[in-house]
Amino acid sequence: MGNEILLDVQHLTHVFPLTKKIAVKAVDNISFQIVRGEIFGLVGESGSGKSTIARCVMNLYQPRNGQILYKGLDTCDPWVFRENRRMLQTTRQMIFQDSNSSLDQRMKVADIIAEPMKIQHITPPRGTCRAEAEFQMKYVGLDASYLDKYPSELSGGQRQRVAIARALAMEPELLVADEPIASLDVSIQAQIVNLFKHLQQEHGFSFLFIAHDLAMVEFLCNRVGVMYHGRLVETAPTKELFANPLHPYTKALLSAIPIPDPRRERARKLAEFRREDFLPVGELTEVSPGHFVLRNGREIS
Amino acid sequence: MKKRNLAAYFGKKIFVFFLSVLLLSIAVFYISRLAPGDPLVSYYGDRVEKMTPEEREWAEGKLGLNDPITVQYIRWLDSAFHGDFGISYKYKMDVVEVIGSRIGNTLILGGVGFLLIFVASMLLGVLCAWHEDRLLDRVICKIGTISSCVPEFWLSLVLILIFSVTLRWLPSSGAYSIGKSGDIGDRIAHLILPLTVVVLGHLWYYAYMIRNKILEEVRADYVLLAKAKGLTKRSVMFRHCLRNVIPSYLSIMAIAVPHILGGTYVVETVFSYPGIGTLSYESARYQDYNLLMLLCLLSGILVILCNIIAQIINEQIDPRIKAQDAAETLEVGEP
Amino acid sequence: MNEQFDMVGIRPLPPEPTAKAKRWYRGKPILSLTVLAAIFLGCLFCRLLMTKDPTYMDLMNYNTAPNGEFLFGTDTMGRDIFSMIWYGGRLSLSIGVLSTLISTAIAIVFGAVSGCAPGWLDTVLMRLTEILLSVPSLLIIVLLQAILGKANVLSISFVIGITSWTSIAKVVRTEVRQLRSSEYILAARCMGGGFFHILWRHLTPNFVSSIMFMVVMNVRSAIVAESTLSFMGIGLPLEVITWGSMLSLSEKALLTGAWWIILIPGSFLVVTLLCVTDLGNYMRRNANRKQSNL
Repeated sequence: MGNEILLDVQHLTHVFPLTKKIAVKAVDNISFQIVRGEIFGLVGESGSGKSTIARCVMNLYQPRNGQILYKGLDTCDPWVFRENRRMLQTTRQMIFQDSNSSLDQRMKVADIIAEPMKIQHITPPRGTCRAEAEFQMKYVGLDASYLDKYPSELSGGQRQRVAIARALAMEPELLVADEPIASLDVSIQAQIVNLFKHLQQEHGFSFLFIAHDLAMVEFLCNRVGVMYHGRLVETAPTKELFANPLHPYTKALLSAIPIPDPRRERARKLAEFRREDFLPVGELTEVSPGHFVLRNGREIS
Repeated sequence: MKKRNLAAYFGKKIFVFFLSVLLLSIAVFYISRLAPGDPLVSYYGDRVEKMTPEEREWAEGKLGLNDPITVQYIRWLDSAFHGDFGISYKYKMDVVEVIGSRIGNTLILGGVGFLLIFVASMLLGVLCAWHEDRLLDRVICKIGTISSCVPEFWLSLVLILIFSVTLRWLPSSGAYSIGKSGDIGDRIAHLILPLTVVVLGHLWYYAYMIRNKILEEVRADYVLLAKAKGLTKRSVMFRHCLRNVIPSYLSIMAIAVPHILGGTYVVETVFSYPGIGTLSYESARYQDYNLLMLLCLLSGILVILCNIIAQIINEQIDPRIKAQDAAETLEVGEP
Repeated sequence: MNEQFDMVGIRPLPPEPTAKAKRWYRGKPILSLTVLAAIFLGCLFCRLLMTKDPTYMDLMNYNTAPNGEFLFGTDTMGRDIFSMIWYGGRLSLSIGVLSTLISTAIAIVFGAVSGCAPGWLDTVLMRLTEILLSVPSLLIIVLLQAILGKANVLSISFVIGITSWTSIAKVVRTEVRQLRSSEYILAARCMGGGFFHILWRHLTPNFVSSIMFMVVMNVRSAIVAESTLSFMGIGLPLEVITWGSMLSLSEKALLTGAWWIILIPGSFLVVTLLCVTDLGNYMRRNANRKQSNL
């Protein structure tokens, strides 16, 4: 893991207008960084804005405010984007949550995986597109016989793996995974998470891993960011965060993780967190090296 | 707040309505003027050929035809607002009178036809869906398909051949026999054959649509649940599936009104039924501009009105359509 | 890598020899296709089939019932109906297909543009099509035909095509709107897919099946429209033989009870339309394969 900052999100804000008068602030003043070769986990409840961040990072939404710097380039600037379009589109890939809708039901698996290469007119390193697709499928653990099947003929876990294979086909540097394992069963989850770890260690991929399963995040990620109602309330290296949570929301979240030991589980007590206590103002202040907490000027005990 | 929204909602729709009608009138006005042909012919008949150029100019000036098109349009628009739609060149009567004398017949034919289709297609659709894929359904589908493939004019001819010429049971033309314009029985006798053609021509189209909608509805998961709960087939069909299908049926029927009324033209021609269908054709063919304008306006108003009603019904059924249109304005756009 | 992906509880079986293939023609509209092909070929090779010259008016033999010499009889002007059917069928069928091609092309382009356009443009375009729809198509046809001058095959096809594209365009636009925000389209855009790539590889295969049925139905209504127009005398001039114009002389036939003049061309029309409809229904059925829950 080097020290090069791959992705630098600064004061990102995005607003969705519902009607002419009401708007929803999905993402509010978010700042975080991802170093090359690091897996950054983003956790939070449903509706806290995680997917919106993912889509802003991938330039699917134009954020209302803020900057997203990828390798030092401001990707929100249309001119910069257009100049570096090829690089930006090949070195960053996204994995969606719902494998059913993220794969085109009318395309065969082989075509799905080979699509990015066809769009960018890249000759696949393994010879033909089909050979490349086969290679990627083996990599994610799917048999080559699946190449001619349609997504509707595969199970959920297999579809998600096809989506991952498609993302890996371009050998990207940054993978944005938007809750990739949320709809899978536990054994497949473990396999995919292991795959991610393998990719990070062997090939130096960086991940923005969005999830709401804290146990997985603890196992996989190097750094974790906790989101609540569109704001980033705490960011820290994983061990530090789980050992020493500072923000009341983080404390409540962590205390809610079930423990697979009946005695300890019985003795577990939930920390309280009331919504009214939360004020979406303040800045992330560095409490200890690498550990940022949202403070709003009032003392948080 | 809600009342204001409702008023704004309807106000917007009414505005769109008037705008559409206005655009329609402009389009028809210009296109009809573009077509070659001499409107003077319909007014003066064959005497036109013998007219000297000065007489022609005088005739055109009298009818207001030698001004530039825009001026003519504005003049027409102005008098239209006062209720004066001009005179028909052919009939030399006020256009409103000409239409008024015939519109009743078309409305009877189209209106009764529409009601019959409305009721019958729903019944037929439910019947077919109930017996899905069994013999009755298959037979009805086959017959229905055949009936929808028969061109209306041919069906009229065959019916005339059978019932008027060979069997001599029913009259073959006109709305009423000479001298019997008030006799209801006679009117009905004249109405039967054209009505049959109109109904048969459209019935299967809508019945099939309802059948398909109901079939789609019974494939929903809640039907499986209802069956598991123990509801009878009849109860599920009528209390749940049909109720869910009715709103879309209403919106389809709203679009069907102009479709059916417009389609009476062919039938009117074959049966020599004095309605506005034949009027439309004549006015288009022989450049009877004023008549053409009013007829197009009437039919256009009807279509646009029905479209708006259908749209309102659709929006009530599925508020997502309204919200979807609002949400689509926030594009997932490329920077 | 593969050890990590041991599937629990699954043993790969050797591929079994497949059971006897189901009769391949089950469920397919074979009868319709054969009949349609027969009619089509008959019209194509009408010169081989025709026994007499279809335009020759044999006034001595007018209004004869079907017999050995005139297989389908003759009409009021003495023309042999059998030959006229094959000769006229060419025009009827080709006008039907041509106008459908025109209307489908216009509809797809219009629908795709409208579907991908920003909201206000889309509304404007849709309102325009509505206004266009609201003028009775017959009037438009009469007016356009008058503007275009003398009617011929191309102009009639064009005019019929112009008046029948709106329903397909609406469907295309709705489908494109829905598909536009699907995740796989987003994924394709992330990967760098341009507008045409997405249109061709993703949008079109997904809406083609929903419009296939309407396209086939359009062929049907185009044939009906052409025959109706010829019957009214608005379409092609009377000397040109199509199935519709053959029926336009039938008013006189009614008086003389010459049923063959009415029934025979009409039945050909109906049979052709039936086959086309059957094809269309087959395509529609293919899109819908779930089982009933009731």
